Amino acid sequence: MGHEAARQSPAEVRHIGNAALASEPPLLSVEGLSVRFDSAPKGVNVVDDVSFSVSKGKTLCIVGESGCGKSVTSLALMGLLPTPPARIVAGSAMFDGQDLLTLSERERADLRGDKMAMIFQEPMTSLNPAFTVGDQIAEGIVRHRKVSKAEAMERALDMLRKVRIPAPEKRLRAYPHEMSGGMRQRIMIAMALANDPELLIADEPTTALDVTIQAQILTLIRRLQEETGTAMILITHDLGVVAEVADEVAVMYAGHVVESGPVEAIFDDPQHPYTIGLMGSVPSLGRRQGRLATIRGTVPPAELMPKGCRFTPRCPFSDTRCGNELPPLGEIRPGHLARCWYAPLEQKRGTAA
Amino acid sequence: MSVMANTSDIILEGVGLKKHFSSGGLLSSPTVVRAVDGVSLDIRRGETFAVVGESGCGKSTLGRLLLRLIEPTGGDVRYEGRSILELNKSELRRLRRDLQIIFQDPFASLNPRMNVGDIIAEPIWLHNLAAGREKRERVADLMRTVGLLPTHSDRYPHEFSGGQRQRIGIARALAGDPKLIVGDEPVSALDVSIQAQIINLLEDLKDRFGLTLVIVAHDLAVIRHMSDRVAVMYLGEIVELSDTDALFDNPLHPYTQALLAAIPIPSPSSRQPKVLLQGDVPSPAAPPSGCRFHTRCPHARAVCKEQHPALETTPDGRQVACHFWREIQGAGAGSISAPPPSAALTKRLALYRTWRERQDKPVATSP
Repeated sequence: MGHEAARQSPAEVRHIGNAALASEPPLLSVEGLSVRFDSAPKGVNVVDDVSFSVSKGKTLCIVGESGCGKSVTSLALMGLLPTPPARIVAGSAMFDGQDLLTLSERERADLRGDKMAMIFQEPMTSLNPAFTVGDQIAEGIVRHRKVSKAEAMERALDMLRKVRIPAPEKRLRAYPHEMSGGMRQRIMIAMALANDPELLIADEPTTALDVTIQAQILTLIRRLQEETGTAMILITHDLGVVAEVADEVAVMYAGHVVESGPVEAIFDDPQHPYTIGLMGSVPSLGRRQGRLATIRGTVPPAELMPKGCRFTPRCPFSDTRCGNELPPLGEIRPGHLARCWYAPLEQKRGTAA
Repeated sequence: MSVMANTSDIILEGVGLKKHFSSGGLLSSPTVVRAVDGVSLDIRRGETFAVVGESGCGKSTLGRLLLRLIEPTGGDVRYEGRSILELNKSELRRLRRDLQIIFQDPFASLNPRMNVGDIIAEPIWLHNLAAGREKRERVADLMRTVGLLPTHSDRYPHEFSGGQRQRIGIARALAGDPKLIVGDEPVSALDVSIQAQIINLLEDLKDRFGLTLVIVAHDLAVIRHMSDRVAVMYLGEIVELSDTDALFDNPLHPYTQALLAAIPIPSPSSRQPKVLLQGDVPSPAAPPSGCRFHTRCPHARAVCKEQHPALETTPDGRQVACHFWREIQGAGAGSISAPPPSAALTKRLALYRTWRERQDKPVATSP
């Protein structure tokens, strides 16, 4: 996924300047990550053989529906998965020259909130109701930097300005419940960015927000990313959000990455039947064009998960081979991968059977 | 989407509806939240009418008022020309058969201690519509209608997925042969692929049973897809009411314009900087003076702060509450330009649909 030099938006090009980006290794490179829950049947990993990478200043969107493993993946990277029941059974995650998955708990804690930070979906449950937002932002700064409390508060105030909170001096002493949902999410972002992280993981950061507030937060995130060059993994189920912010996209289904590639390729030339079905399921904003395409049924429970392609029972194109043999993530075009025996569909499934 | 809907045939009517909630009062001065503040609308027989707005705009309260699930502070609701506020107990019970509701969270609205067969049979029993074997057959019929297996009637709600639970809620709403169903965010808790299934199901049922639908929702794409007319609410008031296509093609009220501009467009090639609405929705306990939107409106002038704009009817029959709608329309923050899908996507979607239909044939569970 380092082949997208031609697709950068003007703003990104300006930001990155003349640095030889193409030769630079990705900031985070995940290879073959597999996570299993102790209670799951043998051989069914909740996240299975997941690979992706993110470069400096870029945004990777992981898209998928409930239970596809997108949040488990992000928690595994942050070292926040509770073991047991969750266990990382395979894979590596190279970040800044070290494998995150082999670090000690102490080393992980030093990274968290410093070089790597995370934003969650529901800001109210992630903020401590008993402390002012200033205290909570400063706490993370004091933990990772050799600064006094007063200096940390000064930095916290800076951060509130950065995330465009009106009357920041006053807000520094406010409690989370005194703020609206959009303001709280801004506080979460301020907290996450307080130590200038190299990687930001945002798990459904705008899902709980109204559409006008969502637009404000997405614009803010994008602007901050341009200013700081932070790499971002954004986890969402909303294809509209993906189209607005992603450089690269990984589509997940039931623990597998089923398709990945540059955002234009995913939207203009989707290959996996799940990606296509998902796009057909979203009502268009233009004039109505007949019924929605649907994906049959629901995600099967772990004990009924096929050992081949996990989309088999719902896929209109599937046959017995699909259920028995897992297709590889095949390259459609450089950088655009799809895990389907029959991609491209019009060639292999174009004629009526 | 029906072209049949006769403009003069009104099934349900809200007249100057108000709902004020008060809180506090013992030691502090009471605060009054004006959740719905003077809303009038007509719902035509056979149409899908959508109410859209952000959290706290009063859209759910309005939906409940229309069914008299809560009592209004002021105003009236007329069903088939008759006020439903004057009905006595038995008349109200009869009304409950005709007017039904589907809730957002199907799990919270289903009794966890009743099996699905009993949940769906309850309205049939309450209204004395059938008993014994006939009742069981009706339940099985309803389950098939919404795409559930009748053999699952002895299971409990927790054994079903979110989409299936929403189907149970729909089957129950259909049990009394309703004329009108209010859907309060009926698909917003569901995953995209399940959401599409439920949207199609609601449309099929509407056609099959000649229902009128009132959809309360915040997702504008869902509304555009499903509804014939849309009312946009802001802080307890309707700011614009119009045919769906007209509203999306040429939004008149600055709030509608801002809402449409804020939708993320699922096409990476059409990324562009947006004109964004600043700030948050003010508290409905202390709505701004004059036009309630003036604190966030990019076009606000002095008069907006002082005078409350009335909902006026435009020459082409739309309604808008803005002093300056004539000047504002087409002022840049206009309609959304969703580009058509790429050729490759169109082709593959067509292929997907063909194979998808074939996939349904041998099973043929849903009509």
